Amino acid sequence: MTTAAVTETESRALGEVALVDLLDRLLGTGVVLAGDITISLAGVDLVEVRLHALISTVRSEMARQR
Amino acid sequence: MPETGRYLYAITRHLDPEVLVDIPGLDGGHLDVVEHRGLAVVVSSVDLDEYGEEGLTRNLERLEWLEEVARRHDAVVQALAVKGPTAPLRLATICHDDAGVRRRVDEWHTALQQVLDRVDGRMEWSIKVLTPARKPEPAAAVPAGGEKPRGAEYLRRKKAQAEARLADDEVALHTVEQIHQTLASRTVASRRLPPQDPRLTGHEGTMVLNAAYLVDALDEQAFLSEVQALQAAHPGLVLDHRGPWPPYSFAMLEQG
Repeated sequence: MTTAAVTETESRALGEVALVDLLDRLLGTGVVLAGDITISLAGVDLVEVRLHALISTVRSEMARQR
Repeated sequence: MPETGRYLYAITRHLDPEVLVDIPGLDGGHLDVVEHRGLAVVVSSVDLDEYGEEGLTRNLERLEWLEEVARRHDAVVQALAVKGPTAPLRLATICHDDAGVRRRVDEWHTALQQVLDRVDGRMEWSIKVLTPARKPEPAAAVPAGGEKPRGAEYLRRKKAQAEARLADDEVALHTVEQIHQTLASRTVASRRLPPQDPRLTGHEGTMVLNAAYLVDALDEQAFLSEVQALQAAHPGLVLDHRGPWPPYSFAMLEQG
Protein backbone atom coordinates (compact mmCIF):
# COMPACT_ATOMS: atom_id res chain seq x y z
CA MET A 1 0.00 0.00 0.00
CA THR A 2 1.37 3.39 -0.93
CA THR A 3 1.25 6.53 1.13
CA ALA A 4 -1.23 7.92 -1.36
CA ALA A 5 -3.50 4.97 -0.75
CA VAL A 6 -3.30 5.50 3.01
CA THR A 7 -4.27 9.13 2.58
CA GLU A 8 -7.16 8.10 0.39
CA THR A 9 -8.34 5.70 3.08
CA GLU A 10 -8.47 8.50 5.57
CA SER A 11 -10.27 10.91 3.32
CA ARG A 12 -13.37 8.77 2.91
CA ALA A 13 -15.65 8.13 5.83
CA LEU A 14 -15.64 4.35 5.91
CA GLY A 15 -14.76 1.65 3.45
CA GLU A 16 -17.46 -0.13 1.52
CA VAL A 17 -18.15 -3.57 2.89
CA ALA A 18 -18.40 -6.31 0.27
CA LEU A 19 -21.62 -8.29 0.52
CA VAL A 20 -19.87 -11.52 1.42
CA ASP A 21 -17.98 -9.76 4.24
CA LEU A 22 -21.14 -8.07 5.42
CA LEU A 23 -23.05 -11.32 5.59
CA ASP A 24 -20.11 -12.96 7.40
CA ARG A 25 -20.65 -10.36 10.07
CA LEU A 26 -24.38 -9.76 10.07
CA LEU A 27 -25.39 -13.39 10.02
CA GLY A 28 -22.47 -14.92 11.84
CA THR A 29 -22.94 -17.85 14.12
CA GLY A 30 -24.06 -18.22 17.67
CA VAL A 31 -26.83 -16.53 19.51
CA VAL A 32 -26.63 -12.79 19.92
CA LEU A 33 -28.83 -9.99 21.16
CA ALA A 34 -32.27 -11.01 20.04
CA GLY A 35 -35.50 -9.10 19.63
CA ASP A 36 -38.92 -10.46 20.40
CA ILE A 37 -39.44 -11.96 17.01
CA THR A 38 -35.94 -12.73 15.84
CA ILE A 39 -35.89 -16.17 14.38
CA SER A 40 -33.07 -18.49 15.16
CA LEU A 41 -30.77 -17.85 12.25
CA ALA A 42 -29.13 -21.12 13.06
CA GLY A 43 -32.35 -22.72 11.86
CA VAL A 44 -31.85 -21.31 8.40
CA ASP A 45 -29.44 -23.13 6.22
CA LEU A 46 -27.09 -20.27 5.54
CA VAL A 47 -24.72 -22.42 3.57
CA GLU A 48 -27.55 -22.98 1.14
CA VAL A 49 -28.36 -19.29 1.13
CA ARG A 50 -24.79 -18.39 0.43
CA LEU A 51 -23.93 -20.94 -2.14
CA HIS A 52 -27.12 -20.89 -4.11
CA ALA A 53 -27.99 -17.28 -4.00
CA LEU A 54 -24.80 -15.32 -3.64
CA ILE A 55 -22.28 -16.62 -6.05
CA SER A 56 -22.95 -14.52 -9.12
CA THR A 57 -23.66 -11.25 -7.33
CA VAL A 58 -20.75 -11.43 -4.97
CA ARG A 59 -18.37 -12.35 -7.72
CA SER A 60 -19.30 -9.44 -9.90
CA GLU A 61 -19.01 -7.17 -6.88
CA MET A 62 -15.53 -8.42 -6.01
CA ALA A 63 -14.47 -7.99 -9.62
CA ARG A 64 -15.64 -4.38 -9.51
CA GLN A 65 -13.55 -3.64 -6.44
CA ARG A 66 -10.32 -4.91 -7.91
CA MET B 1 -53.73 -2.90 7.88
CA PRO B 2 -50.72 -5.21 8.12
CA GLU B 3 -49.23 -5.94 11.50
CA THR B 4 -45.91 -4.20 11.96
CA GLY B 5 -42.85 -4.71 14.13
CA ARG B 6 -39.81 -2.61 14.97
CA TYR B 7 -36.62 -3.53 13.15
CA LEU B 8 -33.49 -2.69 15.18
CA TYR B 9 -30.40 -1.47 13.30
CA ALA B 10 -27.94 -0.32 15.93
CA ILE B 11 -27.56 1.12 19.39
CA THR B 12 -25.58 4.20 20.23
CA ARG B 13 -25.44 7.12 22.67
CA HIS B 14 -26.28 10.80 22.37
CA LEU B 15 -27.76 10.55 18.92
CA ASP B 16 -28.29 13.73 16.95
CA PRO B 17 -31.49 13.06 14.95
CA GLU B 18 -30.01 15.09 12.10
CA VAL B 19 -27.73 12.14 11.38
CA LEU B 20 -30.75 10.12 10.30
CA VAL B 21 -32.26 12.66 7.95
CA ASP B 22 -32.04 11.48 4.35
CA ILE B 23 -31.30 7.89 5.32
CA PRO B 24 -34.21 5.65 4.39
CA GLY B 25 -35.02 2.64 6.50
CA LEU B 26 -36.00 -0.76 5.15
CA ASP B 27 -38.72 -0.65 2.52
CA GLY B 28 -38.53 3.15 2.59
CA GLY B 29 -39.60 3.25 6.23
CA HIS B 30 -38.83 6.22 8.45
CA LEU B 31 -35.97 5.81 10.91
CA ASP B 32 -36.96 6.47 14.50
CA VAL B 33 -34.96 6.61 17.70
CA VAL B 34 -36.07 4.82 20.82
CA GLU B 35 -34.21 6.42 23.72
CA HIS B 36 -33.93 4.55 26.95
CA ARG B 37 -31.57 4.81 29.90
CA GLY B 38 -28.96 6.83 28.07
CA LEU B 39 -28.96 4.64 24.99
CA ALA B 40 -30.49 5.33 21.59
CA VAL B 41 -31.81 2.48 19.48
CA VAL B 42 -32.35 3.25 15.80
CA VAL B 43 -35.42 1.44 14.48
CA SER B 44 -37.99 1.49 11.72
CA SER B 45 -41.33 -0.21 11.26
CA VAL B 46 -41.52 -3.30 9.09
CA ASP B 47 -44.36 -5.46 7.88
CA LEU B 48 -44.47 -8.67 9.88
CA ASP B 49 -45.72 -10.57 6.86
CA GLU B 50 -42.20 -10.08 5.51
CA TYR B 51 -40.22 -9.83 8.76
CA GLY B 52 -42.08 -12.19 11.05
CA GLU B 53 -40.79 -15.66 11.63
CA GLU B 54 -42.49 -17.16 8.58
CA GLY B 55 -41.61 -14.27 6.31
CA LEU B 56 -37.98 -14.22 7.43
CA THR B 57 -37.53 -17.93 6.93
CA ARG B 58 -38.81 -17.52 3.39
CA ASN B 59 -37.04 -14.24 2.61
CA LEU B 60 -33.60 -15.12 3.96
CA GLU B 61 -33.32 -17.65 1.19
CA ARG B 62 -33.86 -14.96 -1.43
CA LEU B 63 -30.69 -13.19 -2.45
CA GLU B 64 -32.29 -9.95 -3.62
CA TRP B 65 -34.13 -9.60 -0.34
CA LEU B 66 -31.10 -10.52 1.76
CA GLU B 67 -28.82 -8.15 -0.09
CA GLU B 68 -31.28 -5.26 0.10
CA VAL B 69 -31.75 -5.71 3.84
CA ALA B 70 -28.02 -6.16 4.49
CA ARG B 71 -27.18 -3.04 2.48
CA ARG B 72 -29.86 -0.93 4.16
CA HIS B 73 -28.81 -2.18 7.56
CA ASP B 74 -25.17 -1.39 6.76
CA ALA B 75 -25.98 2.09 5.45
CA VAL B 76 -27.69 2.98 8.73
CA VAL B 77 -24.91 1.48 10.82
CA GLN B 78 -22.23 3.31 8.84
CA ALA B 79 -23.99 6.65 9.23
CA LEU B 80 -24.04 6.13 12.99
CA ALA B 81 -20.56 4.65 13.31
CA VAL B 82 -18.82 7.72 11.89
CA LYS B 83 -20.54 9.85 14.56
CA GLY B 84 -19.81 7.88 17.67
CA PRO B 85 -19.53 4.45 19.26
CA THR B 86 -22.10 2.18 17.69
CA ALA B 87 -23.19 -1.37 18.42
CA PRO B 88 -24.70 -2.83 15.25
CA LEU B 89 -27.40 -5.40 15.73
CA ARG B 90 -27.45 -8.64 13.88
CA LEU B 91 -29.52 -8.76 10.72
CA ALA B 92 -33.24 -9.14 11.35
CA THR B 93 -33.52 -8.28 15.03
CA ILE B 94 -37.15 -7.32 15.44
CA CYS B 95 -39.36 -6.38 18.37
CA HIS B 96 -43.14 -6.11 18.47
CA ASP B 97 -43.11 -2.47 19.54
CA ASP B 98 -41.06 0.26 21.23
CA ALA B 99 -41.88 -1.19 24.64
CA GLY B 100 -40.23 -4.40 23.47
CA VAL B 101 -37.18 -2.43 22.34
CA ARG B 102 -36.92 -0.84 25.80
CA ARG B 103 -37.21 -4.21 27.47
CA ARG B 104 -34.24 -5.41 25.40
CA VAL B 105 -32.24 -2.36 26.41
CA ASP B 106 -33.05 -3.06 30.06
CA GLU B 107 -32.03 -6.66 29.68
CA TRP B 108 -28.74 -5.88 27.94
CA HIS B 109 -27.94 -2.52 29.46
CA THR B 110 -24.67 -3.41 31.19
CA ALA B 111 -23.37 -5.44 28.26
CA LEU B 112 -24.31 -2.68 25.83
CA GLN B 113 -22.42 -0.09 27.82
CA GLN B 114 -19.38 -2.35 27.84
CA VAL B 115 -19.60 -2.91 24.10
CA LEU B 116 -19.94 0.81 23.38
CA ASP B 117 -16.96 1.54 25.64
CA ARG B 118 -14.94 -1.12 23.86
CA VAL B 119 -15.58 0.20 20.35
CA ASP B 120 -15.39 3.90 21.16
CA GLY B 121 -12.90 5.54 18.80
CA ARG B 122 -12.16 2.22 17.13
CA MET B 123 -13.00 0.66 13.82
CA GLU B 124 -12.83 -2.77 12.31
CA TRP B 125 -10.30 -3.79 9.67
CA SER B 126 -10.50 -6.97 7.69
CA ILE B 127 -7.35 -8.85 6.79
CA LYS B 128 -7.48 -11.85 4.53
CA VAL B 129 -4.47 -13.89 3.58
CA LEU B 130 -4.56 -15.82 0.37
CA THR B 131 -2.10 -18.23 -1.12
CA PRO B 132 -1.43 -17.59 -4.77
CA ALA B 133 -3.29 -19.74 -7.26
CA ARG B 134 -1.56 -23.06 -7.68
CA LYS B 135 0.46 -22.92 -10.86
CA PRO B 136 -0.06 -25.78 -13.26
CA GLU B 137 2.61 -28.42 -12.83
CA PRO B 138 5.60 -27.40 -14.90
CA ALA B 139 6.25 -29.74 -17.76
CA ALA B 140 8.61 -32.36 -16.43
CA ALA B 141 12.12 -31.38 -17.29
CA VAL B 142 13.22 -33.54 -20.10
CA PRO B 143 16.54 -35.12 -19.26
CA ALA B 144 19.48 -34.54 -21.56
CA GLY B 145 18.81 -37.80 -23.31
CA GLY B 146 15.44 -36.45 -24.46
CA GLU B 147 13.44 -39.30 -22.95
CA LYS B 148 10.28 -38.51 -21.01
CA PRO B 149 10.30 -40.04 -17.53
CA ARG B 150 8.51 -43.33 -17.31
CA GLY B 151 7.27 -45.73 -14.70
CA ALA B 152 9.08 -45.51 -11.41
CA GLU B 153 10.76 -42.23 -12.30
CA TYR B 154 7.38 -40.64 -13.12
CA LEU B 155 5.87 -41.83 -9.84
CA ARG B 156 8.87 -40.59 -7.91
CA ARG B 157 8.44 -37.11 -9.37
CA LYS B 158 4.71 -37.09 -8.69
CA LYS B 159 5.37 -38.01 -5.10
CA ALA B 160 8.01 -35.30 -4.75
CA GLN B 161 5.60 -32.71 -6.16
CA ALA B 162 2.85 -33.77 -3.75
CA GLU B 163 5.25 -33.56 -0.83
CA ALA B 164 6.42 -30.14 -1.89
CA ARG B 165 2.80 -28.92 -2.01
CA LEU B 166 2.12 -30.32 1.44
CA ALA B 167 5.24 -28.61 2.77
CA ASP B 168 4.11 -25.36 1.12
CA ASP B 169 0.74 -25.60 2.85
CA GLU B 170 2.34 -26.25 6.22
CA VAL B 171 4.66 -23.30 5.81
CA ALA B 172 1.70 -21.14 4.79
CA LEU B 173 -0.32 -22.16 7.85
CA HIS B 174 2.60 -21.49 10.16
CA THR B 175 3.22 -18.12 8.52
CA VAL B 176 -0.44 -17.22 8.83
CA GLU B 177 -0.38 -17.91 12.56
CA GLN B 178 2.56 -15.54 12.87
CA ILE B 179 0.85 -12.86 10.79
CA HIS B 180 -2.32 -13.13 12.84
CA GLN B 181 -0.45 -13.05 16.15
CA THR B 182 1.56 -10.04 15.03
CA LEU B 183 -1.55 -8.10 14.10
CA ALA B 184 -3.52 -9.32 17.11
CA SER B 185 -0.79 -8.17 19.47
CA ARG B 186 -0.93 -4.68 17.99
CA THR B 187 -4.70 -4.26 18.03
CA VAL B 188 -7.36 -3.93 20.69
CA ALA B 189 -9.11 -7.15 19.77
CA SER B 190 -9.16 -9.68 17.01
CA ARG B 191 -11.47 -12.33 15.75
CA ARG B 192 -11.01 -15.08 13.20
CA LEU B 193 -13.85 -15.81 10.83
CA PRO B 194 -14.19 -18.94 8.74
CA PRO B 195 -12.36 -18.66 5.42
CA GLN B 196 -14.73 -17.68 2.63
CA ASP B 197 -15.69 -20.08 -0.08
CA PRO B 198 -13.90 -19.31 -3.36
CA ARG B 199 -17.23 -19.91 -5.09
CA LEU B 200 -18.51 -16.80 -3.32
CA THR B 201 -15.52 -14.57 -3.71
CA GLY B 202 -14.05 -15.86 -6.93
CA HIS B 203 -10.59 -15.72 -5.37
CA GLU B 204 -7.94 -18.08 -6.60
CA GLY B 205 -5.64 -19.97 -4.32
CA THR B 206 -6.66 -20.72 -0.74
CA MET B 207 -7.94 -18.26 1.84
CA VAL B 208 -5.77 -19.19 4.80
CA LEU B 209 -6.85 -16.32 7.05
CA ASN B 210 -10.08 -14.34 7.30
CA ALA B 211 -9.68 -12.15 10.35
CA ALA B 212 -11.08 -8.96 11.81
CA TYR B 213 -9.14 -6.54 14.00
CA LEU B 214 -10.44 -3.77 16.18
CA VAL B 215 -8.12 -0.83 15.58
CA ASP B 216 -7.97 2.40 17.54
CA ALA B 217 -8.19 5.40 15.22
CA LEU B 218 -4.91 6.64 16.66
CA ASP B 219 -3.17 3.37 15.77
CA GLU B 220 -4.54 3.08 12.27
CA GLN B 221 -1.41 4.30 10.49
CA ALA B 222 0.80 1.98 12.51
CA PHE B 223 -1.55 -0.91 11.82
CA LEU B 224 -1.49 -0.28 8.08
CA SER B 225 2.29 0.04 8.15
CA GLU B 226 2.47 -3.29 9.92
CA VAL B 227 0.27 -4.85 7.23
CA GLN B 228 2.51 -3.38 4.60
CA ALA B 229 5.61 -4.73 6.34
CA LEU B 230 4.06 -8.18 6.66
CA GLN B 231 3.16 -8.17 3.00
CA ALA B 232 6.72 -7.21 2.11
CA ALA B 233 8.06 -9.97 4.37
CA HIS B 234 5.82 -12.56 2.75
CA PRO B 235 5.81 -11.90 -0.97
CA GLY B 236 4.49 -15.41 -1.58
CA LEU B 237 1.16 -14.57 0.09
CA VAL B 238 -1.49 -12.01 -0.70
CA LEU B 239 -2.61 -9.83 2.23
CA ASP B 240 -5.95 -8.27 1.41
CA HIS B 241 -6.88 -5.46 3.80
CA ARG B 242 -10.17 -3.60 3.87
CA GLY B 243 -11.62 -1.01 6.15
CA PRO B 244 -12.24 0.92 8.19
CA TRP B 245 -15.63 -0.65 8.85
CA PRO B 246 -18.10 -0.29 11.69
CA PRO B 247 -17.06 -2.69 14.46
CA TYR B 248 -19.39 -5.47 13.35
CA SER B 249 -17.21 -8.28 14.63
CA PHE B 250 -16.69 -6.66 18.02
CA ALA B 251 -20.03 -5.20 18.97
CA MET B 252 -22.18 -8.27 18.98
CA LEU B 253 -23.42 -9.38 22.35
CA GLU B 254 -22.88 -13.03 22.85
CA GLN B 255 -25.46 -14.63 25.07
CA GLY B 256 -24.52 -16.38 28.26
